[in-house]
Amino acid sequence: MTAATDLGTHPASRQGVASRRFLSRFEPYFYASPAIVLLVTVMMVPLVVGLTYTVRDIRILNPFSGGYVGFAHFEAIWHDQNFHNALYNTFWWTVTSLFFQFFLGLMLALLLNRTFPGRRIIQSLVFLPWAVPAFLSGLNWAWMFNPVISPLPQWLFALGILSEPTNILSDPDLAMWGPIVANIWFGIPFFAITLLAALQSIPGEIYEAASIDGASRRQQFVSITLPFLAPTIAITLMLRTIWIANFADLIIVMTNGGPADSTQIVSSYIFTQAFRRLDFGYASAIAAVLLVLLMAYAVSIIFIRRSLLRET
Amino acid sequence: MASIQITEATKSYGNTAVLHGIDLNIQDGEFIVLVGPSGCGKSTLLRMIAGLEEVTSGSISINERIINDLPPRDRDIAMVFQSYALYPHMSVEENISYAMTLRKSPKEKIASAVNGVSNILGLNGLLERRPKALSGGQRQRVAMGRAIVRDPQAFLFDEPLSNLDARLREQMRSEIRKLHRKLNATSIYVTHDQIEAMTMADRIVAMHDGYIQQVGTPLEIYDKPANVFVASFIGSPAMNFIRGTASASGEGYHLQTDQGHQIILPKSLDLKDRMDVILGVRPEHLMIVEEGPASLPATVDLIEPMGLSTLVHVRVGQDSLKIFTLDRPDIAEGTQVHVSYIKEKLHMFDARTEMRLESPV
Repeated sequence: MTAATDLGTHPASRQGVASRRFLSRFEPYFYASPAIVLLVTVMMVPLVVGLTYTVRDIRILNPFSGGYVGFAHFEAIWHDQNFHNALYNTFWWTVTSLFFQFFLGLMLALLLNRTFPGRRIIQSLVFLPWAVPAFLSGLNWAWMFNPVISPLPQWLFALGILSEPTNILSDPDLAMWGPIVANIWFGIPFFAITLLAALQSIPGEIYEAASIDGASRRQQFVSITLPFLAPTIAITLMLRTIWIANFADLIIVMTNGGPADSTQIVSSYIFTQAFRRLDFGYASAIAAVLLVLLMAYAVSIIFIRRSLLRET
Repeated sequence: MASIQITEATKSYGNTAVLHGIDLNIQDGEFIVLVGPSGCGKSTLLRMIAGLEEVTSGSISINERIINDLPPRDRDIAMVFQSYALYPHMSVEENISYAMTLRKSPKEKIASAVNGVSNILGLNGLLERRPKALSGGQRQRVAMGRAIVRDPQAFLFDEPLSNLDARLREQMRSEIRKLHRKLNATSIYVTHDQIEAMTMADRIVAMHDGYIQQVGTPLEIYDKPANVFVASFIGSPAMNFIRGTASASGEGYHLQTDQGHQIILPKSLDLKDRMDVILGVRPEHLMIVEEGPASLPATVDLIEPMGLSTLVHVRVGQDSLKIFTLDRPDIAEGTQVHVSYIKEKLHMFDARTEMRLESPV
């Protein structure tokens, strides 16, 4: 401390200043180091190891495997019908789930943004699905689609949505809708919470000014609510796209990719390859492809968002 | 342009009444200032005229047409908010033209209107900017521009200057006044600042506790406050009050103060013997004098020099009084002086009702 007070008057104090400068420059790294060490050991190391697997033949049950195979896995992926099918399913699963999660979540947020008696209780109830572990939701929904246990298939039949009161999870044409419905139910609260928070940050006076300016409720929604929500919408859509594309839990629990691979998405296909067939090399190669696809998606979204921001 | 009639308007939230039977007639082209302390209901009344708050009972009409149930957008009024409430995602130009865009006015008309407004308000270099890139004063101008571009029936101002610093406030005060003279539009202006009220209003409406206390021109209100509240609220430095009892003496009355002093009262007042009264006297109507027959002995508490003037705080018994003088009195704090008053400028209030005691002419 004395070094700082009589700065520059004694030669000894310069040393103090130098070490102080060193400290202040490296201080952030000292504080960040535990997190960095943790991230490197649990994320970066496995990632790099996984990437080396993509060019090796690693099958757990084959003691003679482990050799270098070059790009053989990627060539196999290129010709793998199951992978193409899984890629198509991933697209379908992600877009449909996201679409309904977003629009239903937005509607819910708009409803919950109004004042009505009992709003707080309903708010907390609405957010419950988010708190249920995904595999429990998956099990529950699998039962709900089972005509032996649940009335749901009968109701769907009565409404004319199903031609027979059967289990849609065992119908290859319809099976994907099972996990999608469960995923929509599971994911609505996320959009409702984040959009509600964004809605509540809009100052009320802006709406009052707009109503005096002559804007109808619909015009207020378009010219005030949506622009205010836009940044939140952009970031949540991007995050959720990546999460949903990677989110195999519900599918594994409800259909395990079946029947006849009709509900296999890329991440569940990776799971099947790695932990059912124990072919870690091939699974790693698929994972690397998925990583590249999602990164390309994220980069393009960030790019679009930036150019939009620059425009406005 | 428009006249506005408010008839027995009340406002309650549940069982809490915030406005009680407001009656007010605003002439076409008038600049009305609603003034009062916070919580007096002035902003609520303004928001009721704007259509942002419902009228619990009574009626509000514009040009003799009752508008109680019209939504804000059908009332053709413009409002300037305290927080300005600019649209942060729109440029200054879009902010100003938003109302016209909603009305689907032709593009050339919008452009010339925006141009005209930005000339009046000096916004020419700022049209492309967003509100967050503007200073407080500039934002205030944009909010004004958004209001005047529409050429509405009436302007409502909700404490529009309270977020500005003192110098800018003074400047905007005169600008708004000049603008009003130019546009001659009916305006209702809410403020808690009595200086804004005095300097800007054609007529002041002084409000307190949900009641209108007095309506009048600034000088009427200043010279003849209807009750103790108005007398104390309007005027800075504030009026001095002395409690006492009126007692008959010879032809007229004098005030026997609670502190044991005697003050001779004007003869014209309608007083009764032994009546409890409050005497009000403005600081500029008191002066420090040599000891004389009508002077009161006082102790100097504090001297506040303000350059132009000096404010002397004195104590007469237990009563604290402020004296405003353009002189620079050569007295020290703590010394004994004598205080006199201009008899014709005294205000008398009934101590029980706190209402002004008028001369019975």
